[in-house]
Amino acid sequence: MPDLRKYNEEELVLLLQRRDQQAFSYLYDNYAGALNGIIYRMVEDRELAEDILQEAFLKIWNNFASYDTAKGRLFTWMLNITRNLTIDTMRSKDYKKQDKISGDENSVSNYSGESAGADRFDGIGLRKQLTVLKPDLRKVVDLAYFKGYTQEEISGELAIPLGTVKTRMRTAILELRKILQSK
Amino acid sequence: MTAEEIISSGILELYCLGLASPAECLEVKGWAGQYPSVAGELNSIQLGLETYAQIQAVEPGQETKQKIFSQIIGSTQDITPSVSHELKSVQSSIVRPIRPIWQWAAAASVLLFLGSAAAGIFFYNKYSEANKDLTAARELLGQEANHNLDMKHDLDIVHDPYSMPVKLTGQPTMPEATAKIFWLQNTGDVMVDASSLPDVPEGKQYQFWAIVDGKPVDGGMIITNDKGIKFRMQKMKSFGKAQAFAISLEKAGGNPQPTAVVSVGKI
Repeated sequence: MPDLRKYNEEELVLLLQRRDQQAFSYLYDNYAGALNGIIYRMVEDRELAEDILQEAFLKIWNNFASYDTAKGRLFTWMLNITRNLTIDTMRSKDYKKQDKISGDENSVSNYSGESAGADRFDGIGLRKQLTVLKPDLRKVVDLAYFKGYTQEEISGELAIPLGTVKTRMRTAILELRKILQSK
Repeated sequence: MTAEEIISSGILELYCLGLASPAECLEVKGWAGQYPSVAGELNSIQLGLETYAQIQAVEPGQETKQKIFSQIIGSTQDITPSVSHELKSVQSSIVRPIRPIWQWAAAASVLLFLGSAAAGIFFYNKYSEANKDLTAARELLGQEANHNLDMKHDLDIVHDPYSMPVKLTGQPTMPEATAKIFWLQNTGDVMVDASSLPDVPEGKQYQFWAIVDGKPVDGGMIITNDKGIKFRMQKMKSFGKAQAFAISLEKAGGNPQPTAVVSVGKI
């Protein structure tokens, strides 16, 4: 990564508001992998994932004026755009629904092993640490984050009451934050 | 809910994962503005999820970036975007349909706004109308009050115990020229009720006289009509003594001696 952390988020937002292509290139280099990872885990099709990623980045560029720093972090905003596009694609008629049940957990963990963006945050080390996280806690996050499940769907999948989804999500993300901060 | 309760409830996590309902999202946004600790927690959760995504990144192929940039460069070569480009970018931004609840909310808010604007205009017009009516009513009331005051004033003169009425009768030259005099014995004030006097021809005026010791003394000019308003009781010059009163028709402004007496009343 040549220009890692060249801009802080504030500078990046300012430059993107002025439609600076250099800044957009930086944005792509730093976030495309993370967003693509999320899309890939949702659609489980590498080619389709990159098509959606392309659409998402065009949308991010075209709609950057609508990003409001007060509403949250830049990545969260980009993630929402990306997830919505992905969910729309998955719901569209030409998308063949993948078999969710077959090795759904494996495909996620297997793929992360070959991640090319891993070197950025000492990904390997952190990913190893993720094993510290209890599987049922990680699953609740992954279903929401990488599968786009609703609260009801998570409740059904994990056979836990709807109210528990919220509290378990809290616990899981707290644990996750602890692990990721100790890098 | 306290900031502590909000943070520990798990709602912020659901919000960050896009699992909160529109109503909950609004609530969270409100809390974030209200409590710095909630805003801080939201940022930490988002940062945590961001890192979680980053460590599990799947780098796309090189050609994907090229594809994106070829489209971006194409769209921004024209520094001042043309209308069609603007339209295109607007259209391309409408990819994800708005959730029905927000559609309804937006429609409802537009309707509410239009409704309130219409109501505002309606009530403003009503208000202006009412205000106009009120002003008119006040004017009328003022006129009536003045009128009443005049009447009362006239009546006071008639009822005054010192007031002595003297009837003036029209002379053969002008038999319809009748008038009434009220002579206040205590003060010598003379009031003339000119309401029954005929209107004067142009350039002429009635002049009032008191006959004192056989000689006519000027008592002032009588106004019968001023811009269409008939004068009723009007005060003339005061006389301590008089044997008779008379009205003559003179040139406007009067004469030192009466030239054409039209009405006389002896005491």
